[in-house]
Order: sequence, then C-alpha cells, then structure tokens
Amino acid sequence: MKHLAKIYALFFISIGIAIGYLYISLTHTEDLLRTNINHLFISQAKEFASNIQHHLHQKIPQNLYTTIKNNPQLKTELERDISLLTTENFKYIYLLYKDKNNNYRYLLDGSEGEEKGELDEKLNVDKKVWNEVYETQMPKVFLQHKLENLWITYLEPVIYQNKTQAIIAIDFATTLPKEIQHATQPVEHIFIYIFIAIFIMLGILLYQTLLNFKSKRDSITDPLTQTYNRNYLRDLLQKIDISKYQIAMLDIDHFKVVNDTYGHKVGDFILSDVAAIIKKMIRSDDILIRFGGEEFLLFIHRESSKEMLATQIAQRIRRTIEQKTFTYDNNTLKITISMGITCSPQHFKTISDAIKHADEFLYIAKREGRNQVVSDTNIQTLSKKQLDTLSIDEIKDAIEENRLLCHYQAIFCTQTQKVLKYEALVRVINKDGSLIYPNQFLPSIVHTTLYNQMTKTVLEIVFAKIKKHKVAISVNLNFSDIINEAVFKLIIEELEKNKDIAPWLSIELLEYEVLEARDSFVNNIKIIQSYGVKISIDDFGAGFANYNVFQILKIDTIKIDGSLIKNIDTSETSYKIVKSIALLTHELGIETVAEFVHSLEVYKVVKELGITKVQGFYFAKPQENLLNGDKTP
Amino acid sequence: MKKLLFILMLASISLFASQANYEAKIYNAIFNALFPAKRTIYVWSDSKQKSDILRQISATQSVDSKEDADILLLSKTKNIDTKTMKFVTNYQLLKHYKKSAVGGFYWKKGRPNIIFLKKNLDKYHISLPQSMQEYVEDEL
Repeated sequence: MKHLAKIYALFFISIGIAIGYLYISLTHTEDLLRTNINHLFISQAKEFASNIQHHLHQKIPQNLYTTIKNNPQLKTELERDISLLTTENFKYIYLLYKDKNNNYRYLLDGSEGEEKGELDEKLNVDKKVWNEVYETQMPKVFLQHKLENLWITYLEPVIYQNKTQAIIAIDFATTLPKEIQHATQPVEHIFIYIFIAIFIMLGILLYQTLLNFKSKRDSITDPLTQTYNRNYLRDLLQKIDISKYQIAMLDIDHFKVVNDTYGHKVGDFILSDVAAIIKKMIRSDDILIRFGGEEFLLFIHRESSKEMLATQIAQRIRRTIEQKTFTYDNNTLKITISMGITCSPQHFKTISDAIKHADEFLYIAKREGRNQVVSDTNIQTLSKKQLDTLSIDEIKDAIEENRLLCHYQAIFCTQTQKVLKYEALVRVINKDGSLIYPNQFLPSIVHTTLYNQMTKTVLEIVFAKIKKHKVAISVNLNFSDIINEAVFKLIIEELEKNKDIAPWLSIELLEYEVLEARDSFVNNIKIIQSYGVKISIDDFGAGFANYNVFQILKIDTIKIDGSLIKNIDTSETSYKIVKSIALLTHELGIETVAEFVHSLEVYKVVKELGITKVQGFYFAKPQENLLNGDKTP
Repeated sequence: MKKLLFILMLASISLFASQANYEAKIYNAIFNALFPAKRTIYVWSDSKQKSDILRQISATQSVDSKEDADILLLSKTKNIDTKTMKFVTNYQLLKHYKKSAVGGFYWKKGRPNIIFLKKNLDKYHISLPQSMQEYVEDEL
C-alpha cells in the first residue's frame, strides 16, 4: 500500500515535471520569437534613425527648430523624405522637441492624414523615458505596454553642438507578437487547466492522506485517555528494539471502588487525568499505552541496555499522582497507583513475556499493599539477600564467562549395585567460587533466551563427558522445551553433532507441566528418539500424573518423585502409591527409578517393591567427577 | 483556418473593448474634472461611437437635445454656436473651436492626447485639479 502511494506520487511528480518542462519550453519559444522580432525592428530602426540624422545634419547644419519653423518648404521636403520610410510596421516616424514647459511637440512628422501632427502640436508621451533620452543623449528602446496599437518604440536624440535639439521616434506597430501570444494562449490555457487539475488532484491526495493519517491515528489512540491503545502495541511489538526500553506496567489502585462509588463518569475522568499526568512526566521517546481498563503500559526509553531509569521515573510518577487531589463535581479523591517493572526486557524470549513479567511484578506491588513500584531488580536484590539467587545479568555473565558446570549423581542397579548411569545437574560457579544451585537461578531465566543458551551449554558439557567416559547420562528438560522451536532446534543441532554417542543420552522430562500442543510434542520426541536418545519422565507422581503419556509415547524410564520415596518407610500412603506405580510400570515394561533414597530403610522398601534403579544420598551425592566403578552402600 | 480567424476576431474584439474601456475611463476623469460638483453630467454627442462609450460611464447621461446638455462632445459638427460648454474629439476640431471649446481628447500616434485651453476654462470659471494641470495649454 505504501509502495502504491509512492508510485502514485512519483507518477504525479513525473507528469508535473513533464508538463512544467513543456510549459517553460513554450514560454521560452514565445520569448525567443518576440526577441527576434524586436531585434529585427531595432536593427532596422537604428538604420532609419541614422539616415534621418545624416539627412537632417546635411540639410540643416544648425538651429534645427528655427530653420524648420522659418522654412515650411524645407519642412515639407523633410517630412516627405521621412514618410518614405514609413511602412505598415514602421508605423510612425516623427521628431519631437521639448519646449520650456517640458512638453514634447511636433517638429517633423512622416505620417499622413489625421495621424499627422502639426508643427508645435503637443503629443502626450511617456516623459520619463523621453527625458532620459534627452538628457543622456543615448538611444533607447522601450516596449509600449500601455498602448494597444503599438509594440515598441525606438528613440534617438538629434544632437547639435552637443545639445539635444529633438528626438527621432520610430513606432513599430506589428501585431505579430500579439498574434503569437493569441495563437499560443489556448495552449497556455490548457497548461493552466492541467496545472489546476494537478493542483486539485494533489489537494485531494493530500486530503486523502490527512484522512488516512487521522483514521490511522484514531485506530491506534485510546479516545478517552488519548494514549496509544493495544492496536498500536501490536504494531510496536513488531518493530521495537526492546534493548532500548524498560517496561513498566501500572495500574490505578482500587479503581473499581472509584467506579462503584462515584460512577463511571468520575472513573473516566480519573483515567484521563492520570494519563495526562503520566504523559506530562514522560519524555517524547517514552511510549504510554492503555493496556486495558485501568492498566497502562509504559515503555521507558534508554540510550543503552545498562541504563536503569525506569524505577526512578516510575517512582516520580507514583509520587505525583499520590500527591494530587482529583476533583470532579464537588467530589474530591485521592488516587494511588502501583507499578511493576521489567528492567532488562531484552533477556526475555519475547516482548510479551517481558510484559507478562512486568505484570507479575505489578501483582506483587498490589499484594504488598499497593501505591508502590516493584521492579525485578528490587526482587532480585531482596531474593539475593534471602535466597542468594542470581540476577539475570549475573547469570548472563556466568554463561559468557563459562562459569557453568555439571555435577553428576549416579543411578544404581538394585540387583548388581553397579552404576547404570548418571543424572547431570547444572550448577553456576559464583564469582567468589561458591556453587549456585538451579533453584537459585532457573526461575529467573526460564522465560528468557538465557535459558536456551544454558540448555545448549549443558548439552555440550554432557556430550563431552559421554565422549570421554562412555557412560549414560541424563539431562533434565521441561515438556515446554520440546515444543519450543528454539530449544528443540538446538537439541537437534547438538544431537546431529554427536550422533555416534547420542544413544548414551537420556532426557528426563519434568512431568509437572500440563501437556500442551500434544501433536507437536509427540512428533518432536519421536525425532529425538530417532537418534537413540532415551526418554524418562521425571518426578512422576508429583504433579498431574498423566498416564496418557504412556499411550502416546514410548517411555523408557520413569523416575518416581522424591516426595513419595523419602518417607516410604514410614508413610503407608507413600508406600501404596509407589507400589501401584511400580506395578503399573512393570506391566508396561518401563524401567523405574526411585530417587531420594537417603537411608538403608528406604532402600530396603524400594528394593522389596521391585524397583530396579535407585538414586539418592544413601548411594552417592551429586559431584563433579564420575564415580570409579561400583559403589556398595 | 476557421479556428485561427475566430481567434483573430476574438482578439480584435477584446482589443477594441480594451481601448474603448480605456477611453471611457479618460472621459470619466475629464468630466469629473470639469464638473466636480455634479453627480450626473448630461452630455450631448454628435457621434454614435462616442455616445456608446459614454454609456459605460455611470456619472454621465446622454441627452438628445443640446439645450438639456451640460457639455457638448463634438466629433464632426463645426457650426455650433452656443454657450454650452464644448469638448472636442480631434485636433482639427479643437483648432476650429479654439475660442469656445474647453478642450479636446483624441488619439494620435496610438497615444491618448488631452488638451485643455486655459482661456476657455477661465470663461467657465473652471479650475482643474492638479492631476490635469499638465494638459492645460495657453493657446493652440
């Protein structure tokens, strides 16, 4: 559509230029013709004037006026001579002198009949031009703009003893330039009509553009608050460089109460007033969007991803609104807002995830008592103090600085007491050398692209280990990772790179997630299995125990959740659940692993139930190096 | 060819219209200068062409009788002997009526020429405005 508009504009401009060029060419040709006619006249007029001068000086050596006045015979002769030069075009040839009153009067006239001027008869002329010739004693040519029947006049002074005695005037009366003008006038008129038509079309185009612009603006503007609406957000998400922004989600506290107590008119007034305050407090680069109801989304611009302005701006907005008293129809209201902020939206898989993240922090702000700004850096700082978790940036640094490693926890065969395989468990090495565990960093990055990078790194580490030791190792992945295009792609890339050792790899799928996009999930698992990779269900029995998975997929192993195993020796319920799972898996021919086997008592019960594989601190803790050989508890 | 003739005809009509219009404006200025206090100036003319031009002037009204006229606009008649103010439309007639006509307006060499005769203006106690002074002649 934009291209079409450009083509139209280009088309009109081209036509305009072509017509303009033709018009200029036409007027130029007209001017050229006029100039040539003038030139023709002037060169001939000069010659005539020169002959007259010569003749006069021959016949009258001095006292021009007195000689002519006193010698009518000579005057008649001279006028007859001059009249010989007159033609249809060289219409009037005559001599005027200037009297003491600065009036010009006939001295000699080559005309005949009514047009003939008598000696001393006054002729109204353009005194300014004639005086100039009289005084400068230089010939002059001028166009007769005001006179209909004349085209051009040539004036030449008649000088005796360095004194101007008279002026020879030759009037050129051709209709040719006017005829040319009249002949070209219709064409010029056509050009003028075309110009008017183009002008009107451009006007219509401009009007249409303005209408389009207005309707486009209306479609992306919320009519109540005059902020952008969700239509605009949809477009914005396609083109925004999110690393240049921080995202704040804000919500008017207890807005429902305002609506219910004072009515929707007051609610609308508050909404538009709050929006106006926010608009006044943000910069031109910031983007305010009415997200829905009383929720606004604010994209706070920053020059670089290191700049952290959002909290500061959000606090300023919050304080201003808190301090303002809203008055409508004698109702006085105090309003507060809560805000949640995503400080580093560039780390999220999608902008929608970053918005959701801000919304989660808005929820925290509400839950914590409202009228406050909560950003993910606040929470991370808080959590860091309480849980020693890592911020997104710290995790990013750790990945970039290769401070990821895997610990391996061995899984034993209950019959042979031998190590069957290992479960890889990711760790981050903190800058001080201490180890950070998954629960301290995975929740922060699970929706971000860092999670993908971490998955890739873990697979690389695990494959390197398999290659070196030729042992089976399992890694943990979420159900959602399998249907996530980016994660699945990198899994396949790693499997392709390590095709020969891929059968040593097991993937433990975390079972607590509700299975979505079933077809895509099944297809992708089958592709992974085609490399010889084993599939396990992790934490079975802890979440939504979905037996359907056994129907749709070939599962190699299930790992019974630790919460059922750890007290199996004391809890009858746990015992019965595990027993039923063991029976089920036995019937289905699926291997079973009991995790969290932390004591001899637990181990004995598990073994008694026929579970063939065990994992837990009773046997081995996760450690950086693999165990050497068998392990007997 | 027909088209060209039509264009030329149009051009000549517009040319004439333009000159006639110009002439009407000059007559208007002249009559206003001669009769500054009169709202309607009654003019008798011996030329149909001049009567047509005068019709374009709102301040003048053509009359059929010389007796009803404030001024006689003469183009050809030479034997008029009346005290009514005379104004002529060619130089030869001005010379003929140089003792009674207040002035004349005519075209010569394609240029409009106005002449007022001072002695005759004085007879009618006419004082011309400054803009007309340059056209006043003591005698022919």
